[in-house]
Amino acid sequence: MLETLSLMGQGFIHALSPMNLLFAAAGTAIGIVIGCLPGLSAAMGVALLLPMTFAMPAETGLIVLGGIYCGAIFGGSIAAILIHTPGTPASAATAIEGYQLTLRGKAGKALFVSCYSSFWGGLLSCISLYFFAPLLAQLAMKFGSPEYFWLSIFGLTIIAGVSSDSMLKGLMSGAFGLLLSTIGMDPIEGAKRFMFGQSALYEGINTTCALIGLFSMSQVLILAEKKIKERAKAAKFTDKLAITREEAKLLTPTILRSWIIGNLIGILPGAGASIACFMGYNTAHQFAKHPEQFGKGSIEGVAGSEAANNAVTGGSLIPMLTLGIPGESVTAVLMGGLIIQGLQPGPELFTRYAPMTYTFFAGFVLVQFLMLGIGLLGCRGFAQISRLSDAILIPSVTVLCVVGSFAIHKNFLDVVIMMIFGIIGYMVRKFGLNAAAIVLALILGPIGEKGLRRSLVLSGGNPAILFSTPLCWVLIGLCVFGVLSPIFMSRMEKKSVEKAGGEDISAETAD
Amino acid sequence: MKKTDIGVVGFMYGVCILFYVLSLDLKPEAQTYPHFIMLVLAILTTMYVVQMIFQAKRNGVTSGLEAFEGFLPKQFFVVLAMIIGYLVLMYLVGFYISTVLLMVACLLFLRVPTWQIIISTLAILGLIYGAFTLFLGVKLPVGLLFK
Repeated sequence: MLETLSLMGQGFIHALSPMNLLFAAAGTAIGIVIGCLPGLSAAMGVALLLPMTFAMPAETGLIVLGGIYCGAIFGGSIAAILIHTPGTPASAATAIEGYQLTLRGKAGKALFVSCYSSFWGGLLSCISLYFFAPLLAQLAMKFGSPEYFWLSIFGLTIIAGVSSDSMLKGLMSGAFGLLLSTIGMDPIEGAKRFMFGQSALYEGINTTCALIGLFSMSQVLILAEKKIKERAKAAKFTDKLAITREEAKLLTPTILRSWIIGNLIGILPGAGASIACFMGYNTAHQFAKHPEQFGKGSIEGVAGSEAANNAVTGGSLIPMLTLGIPGESVTAVLMGGLIIQGLQPGPELFTRYAPMTYTFFAGFVLVQFLMLGIGLLGCRGFAQISRLSDAILIPSVTVLCVVGSFAIHKNFLDVVIMMIFGIIGYMVRKFGLNAAAIVLALILGPIGEKGLRRSLVLSGGNPAILFSTPLCWVLIGLCVFGVLSPIFMSRMEKKSVEKAGGEDISAETAD
Repeated sequence: MKKTDIGVVGFMYGVCILFYVLSLDLKPEAQTYPHFIMLVLAILTTMYVVQMIFQAKRNGVTSGLEAFEGFLPKQFFVVLAMIIGYLVLMYLVGFYISTVLLMVACLLFLRVPTWQIIISTLAILGLIYGAFTLFLGVKLPVGLLFK
């Protein structure tokens, strides 16, 4: 206990260093800009800026990525409130009440409520991050090769069902990713597999290039296929960015409820901020002191949605950091960032690398404060950025994708791989397959393969070893849950969206 | 059932066949795991084919081209060609020259006002020079012609 408290304290001391603070602020500001641009998503932003964190110490890099993540989730609400176009799917419910407030000349109040609720949602989610992450990590310490095999299967079953219109297509995407993960050297036999004569593929497909291609380059192609839209002018607001003490009191129970909802959804693999915002909004409506204001511009509605989507951020980091199971696309990308820094998600993050992990946690707390400050001070400016034309985004994001993938190994082949994955990502999105499942399979594939093959070597080829411990059976049970949970999640999301009447508000980007 | 799903199924079977053929060069011990994954992919794809047949019987067949609603082929393929040309050009003349050319050509094609083209190009070049060349110390491609 004392050791943990000391690690927490040290984490804050390190996180408060000028360099970490500066990068955290930059990451948060970039995240808000990405979030408020309706053509870009949080996952895309994190993937795009991942290469810039390579030269940083691991904790600083992770703080920057955390800042982009939180900033983007909040930033989506700016466009949702001012131009009725959610910057990210996580702000779709915010647009319902937020834009009504704007029409009533209360855009300043709506933006303040959004920022204030996002801050509390994110900050409170850090509590569960501090509390649950070390507990789960202790459990993961008991894992051997068979458990790691099942864990990777669990991760795949979860993500395969997320955000694709058919579960079978999701699973096919996962299997396709697993096959791609076999490119490179065989981990046991040392044989070269499917390298197409390219020695640069010796260590397999570079995950970061695949991430940039699947999430960022594919978005460029999506933007390029449609008529460039002239976005609505962001509403100019003259009212104060503030709420009264009574309004703050009114919002407190809503924020607390949304925190619990968002946090649970974040921890549950397979669900993300886009589900949380609608659930938070509906619950706010259900328990509202002024339900008659819903649909006409309710600050409780804005708070319910925004606190819930930001509460997802801390929660979703728990399974990713402790078990290596990212619950959604953004955490899959963040996990890629962690692996690139030479770190493996799991118990080691809380033992050998504990100082780094607790510095990241402290940085994540600080990011919430920075988000509040930057969000409130800069929202007038960010509102103007949200009008930036897709025509400018297309070549700009392309250049960043190219330079980002080149910077990893200073190898032109990586750029080509990124481009190939960009085209695959575009097709995947068009034909209802699942990009997140492919990425996750690329990350988890080698872990699962090593787990399976080491287990079989240990048992002399007897597959019974994969069913030999109670933990294996728990994980098998979780795999079954993983396959079935997306069915419930999609039903839950549909119900929430229908209840909120949000069918007509669609974000321009996928998660 | 969507007609476009036939393409998805064909692609998945094609990938399985390609990897299977390539795997025949591997020694037998190294073949097992990739073959297992190929089998899983082939089984899942076959299950999807069965689902498609049932869906076709129950709900009929749609084109599946709704996903391409509002698709502007000229704009899309010109931009894609510019991006591919950008990669080729970068290999030949280096990063900065090809980036200026891509930014200007693409923004002109997408009818962005001149002042915005100038600002965007300078902003991107400045950002990359600051972040990648100065901060990360990445040596960006200089191009075959200038080596």
